[in-house]
Amino acid sequence: MTRSVAFEAFRYVAILIALAVTLIPILWMASMAFKPVAEWQATGANLTWIPNDPTLDNFRFLFGESNSNLIVALDRTAGKPILSSLLSATFGTILAMTAGTAAAYGLSRFGSGANLPLALIQLRLFPPMAVMIPVMMMWAFLGLMDTWWGLALVYGIVTLPFAFWLMKTFFDEMPKEIEEAALVEGCSRWRVFIRVTLPMMAAPLAAASLFVFILNWSDYLIALLLTTRNWVTIPVYMASLSSSMTGQLYGAKAALGLIAAVPPVILGIVIQKHLVRGLTFGALKQ
Amino acid sequence: MSAITLQHLVKRFGAFTALKSMDLAIADGEFIALLGPSGCGKSTTMNIIAGMETPSEGRILFGERDMAGVPMGRRGVGFVFQNYAIFTHMSVRRNLDYGLRMTGRPAKEIARRTSAMAELLGLTDLLDRPAQGLSVNILQRLAIGRSAVMEPAIFLLDEPLSNVDAAFRAVMRTELKSLQRQFKQTMVYVTHDQLEAMTMADRIAVMDHGVLQQVGTPLEVYNTPANTFVARFIGSPGMNLFTGTLTTTSAGLAVDLGPLGISPPLALAQAAAAQQAKGAVIYGFRPEEVGLAPPSEPAFDLPLSLTERIGARTILHLGTPQAEVRAVFQSGTAIPEGLLRLAPAPAAVRLFDAGTGTALLVA
Amino acid sequence: MTLTDTQPLIPIKRAKDEGARLGFRLTLPAQLLVLFIAVFPLLMQLYISLTDWSPLSGASWPQAWQFWNSFANYSEMIADKRLWSALGRTLFIIAICVPIEFLLGLGLATLFVDDFPGKRVAYSILIAPMMVVPAVAGYMFFMLFQSGGPVNDILSWFTLDPVAIAWLSDRHLALVAVMVTDIWQWTPLMFLILLAGLVGVPADQLKAAALLGASPWQRFRTIVIPRMKTIIIIALAIRVIECFKIFDTLFIMTGGGPGVATETISVYIYKVTTNDLIWGYVAAIALAILIVLSIGAVWAMKRLAR
Repeated sequence: MTRSVAFEAFRYVAILIALAVTLIPILWMASMAFKPVAEWQATGANLTWIPNDPTLDNFRFLFGESNSNLIVALDRTAGKPILSSLLSATFGTILAMTAGTAAAYGLSRFGSGANLPLALIQLRLFPPMAVMIPVMMMWAFLGLMDTWWGLALVYGIVTLPFAFWLMKTFFDEMPKEIEEAALVEGCSRWRVFIRVTLPMMAAPLAAASLFVFILNWSDYLIALLLTTRNWVTIPVYMASLSSSMTGQLYGAKAALGLIAAVPPVILGIVIQKHLVRGLTFGALKQ
Repeated sequence: MSAITLQHLVKRFGAFTALKSMDLAIADGEFIALLGPSGCGKSTTMNIIAGMETPSEGRILFGERDMAGVPMGRRGVGFVFQNYAIFTHMSVRRNLDYGLRMTGRPAKEIARRTSAMAELLGLTDLLDRPAQGLSVNILQRLAIGRSAVMEPAIFLLDEPLSNVDAAFRAVMRTELKSLQRQFKQTMVYVTHDQLEAMTMADRIAVMDHGVLQQVGTPLEVYNTPANTFVARFIGSPGMNLFTGTLTTTSAGLAVDLGPLGISPPLALAQAAAAQQAKGAVIYGFRPEEVGLAPPSEPAFDLPLSLTERIGARTILHLGTPQAEVRAVFQSGTAIPEGLLRLAPAPAAVRLFDAGTGTALLVA
Repeated sequence: MTLTDTQPLIPIKRAKDEGARLGFRLTLPAQLLVLFIAVFPLLMQLYISLTDWSPLSGASWPQAWQFWNSFANYSEMIADKRLWSALGRTLFIIAICVPIEFLLGLGLATLFVDDFPGKRVAYSILIAPMMVVPAVAGYMFFMLFQSGGPVNDILSWFTLDPVAIAWLSDRHLALVAVMVTDIWQWTPLMFLILLAGLVGVPADQLKAAALLGASPWQRFRTIVIPRMKTIIIIALAIRVIECFKIFDTLFIMTGGGPGVATETISVYIYKVTTNDLIWGYVAAIALAILIVLSIGAVWAMKRLAR
């Protein structure tokens, strides 16, 4: 369609406004992350978008160096929460992807587990809060409270629906001929799955894994309930920074926010082709 | 009012030139076919007429009115897409009366015109059915009816019969033609099928690689092709063409056809035309114009390599693939065994300049 | 040996059996996980919801029967004003945020149907908010809505007077701030899904409609929207379900406050779980929600199947 000049102008203005609205909060946090303590609370005429005196102090502060401008010191650094997030998100992803891919293949090729699609969607239907008490009780009973592996187990289950549905649609779309050719040659179905199908699915597997990882990394509530001291994840740690301190640690929390938020955003942009499929449980494709 | 004039039309898509300066005058009420192979620019031309594309250079006029800047909804053209573009989420009726509804016609008028058009196209029983899932033949009628009900002065059809089965195609050809006669619309019809063009069109515009090759009535285009492209493209199979040089023989001016071993003499008319040649010429004749030559006359002396029997006609391929003569005979004709001596009727020979490919016309 | 008719069937049957066995084994892990997280918790919730048990009571949960109160929790739930206002607040947020996200997302999507220079970059930036960790997004907007913060700063440009609204301390404005955050974060999701739907509308049909005299708005109304019906329903359903669960951003921004001004159902349940620790009661609430949502889902599925 050839568009009128007025429409093109309107389009550019509207998109610029949308871009500005999108970026302002992120840029503000980024700018705060590099501001020294003196500029944290600047208001009115002193409010700056670019720090007058940019510094890496906030980041250093998070990792243990004391900040001469702050009277308080952290009782622990950001190192362990970052590790906890990494471990729980990674292993949660591995669990979800393993169980999900296997089940998706089983349903797609053999029709096994016909109850799973509905059951897994229902899993996403319920507010997490509504199922967390029994989980807390079970985890306490099993000694999984405040551990990264206990967290990873919950993450694996909670994101299993996404892993399952994503991989199921990919398997459904994959032509069966190549597998059947291998079967004719005498391979068992299991070998076909491991040696033929999965390698062909490398790209969708990677995309699905990144998608699930983003979801696990982004969790707050589950970690809030299941971790107390030792293995808190980044969001929980971040939220706790102010409750144990006097005054708002804007810069430090902003720095931590950047550390937490930037990787998933970049990963998400990398897999943007698959986002629609993942978010609508395969109902739509891009 | 519905005469169309294309003046120096050029259309570029980035580095690619789809149309290279096209000039064409279409008369009011004429049925003209844009004929050519894929990629020749015929669909681009039609999109420009409809207003879906704007020309890079040149003008389009409907009658006296320059269409630059007139949006495609306001041009008063009907358009039938190759895949019909039926609104499959609506019923047949809502498809048919879509244009009338969008332009705000009164309800009574909409009902009247819709049922009249449905009647005309045999769609009355299907009016309230969803358009989804109907057969291709019905969809095609619906596509035509949807545009026709707006009573446009100009009707554009982009290969409308290419998806239709062969039996139905013949029926639709006559229907389309009678529709056009009835409503006296100017009809521009894009096709790559020359049979359609030859049977339906008042005139055919043959195109290749964005250049108009020839415009003329079907007979003109068939009998006096303007260049070797048209000669080869029109006719099934196309014209036999051989490069040769003019020589003088005892019988007068002849064309030495080198490897084929003969130098057929030219009839007077062709000899006159041959004077315009600046070097080598191309000697052409249609396969249908070939007959068995008497022993005394120079003839193509070639072994039979392939016989194609297509019902009423038989196509003979003679010689080698590098130097092949095709001949078409009625299937009942007796064909002798072994080497055949064939010669074209002298009056049917056409000459072309070997350099440019343009026809050397009898003055 | 003679080949009989039945012999060729045996290898096929063997293959089918092998397939069914493998399929069973492949789906087993997922089935177990679902069982683990669905069945056991459900039974446990059912059990303690009929008691007055709390982790403070000194007894471990298997002994919760000591505090049996049958359905007292459930009747208490019906009279619990705070619960109902939390629910109402949640529905209010959904009713405001989801339509706004839908309309903004649709508007943006219509601008992205054609190609234009910089489209890929703009697209990548515009989808970023939904991938920001929600807790971090909550903190971002917490900072933005401070009385000395950028939101007031930007507003000051428009009003020429210095604006010093205490967004997060005001009962009504806190809710507004929370909704702005949700809209910021999730409009891109609507944009993403609706764009995928828009692009799927056949261009030829739009051209045909234009040639028949339809204006852009008429084409939008009669062709684009009807053909996007399914996608629109999916997008709205997904967003409503997720918005109902809203917790992370909101909790970080306001903690449910001031007072209970921004307390949604998830925040309420969280508070009762961690502050009041009356887990028997919370289990009853949780079960009630699960039952209602399950019935709703089944009903919706039946309607969609029609």
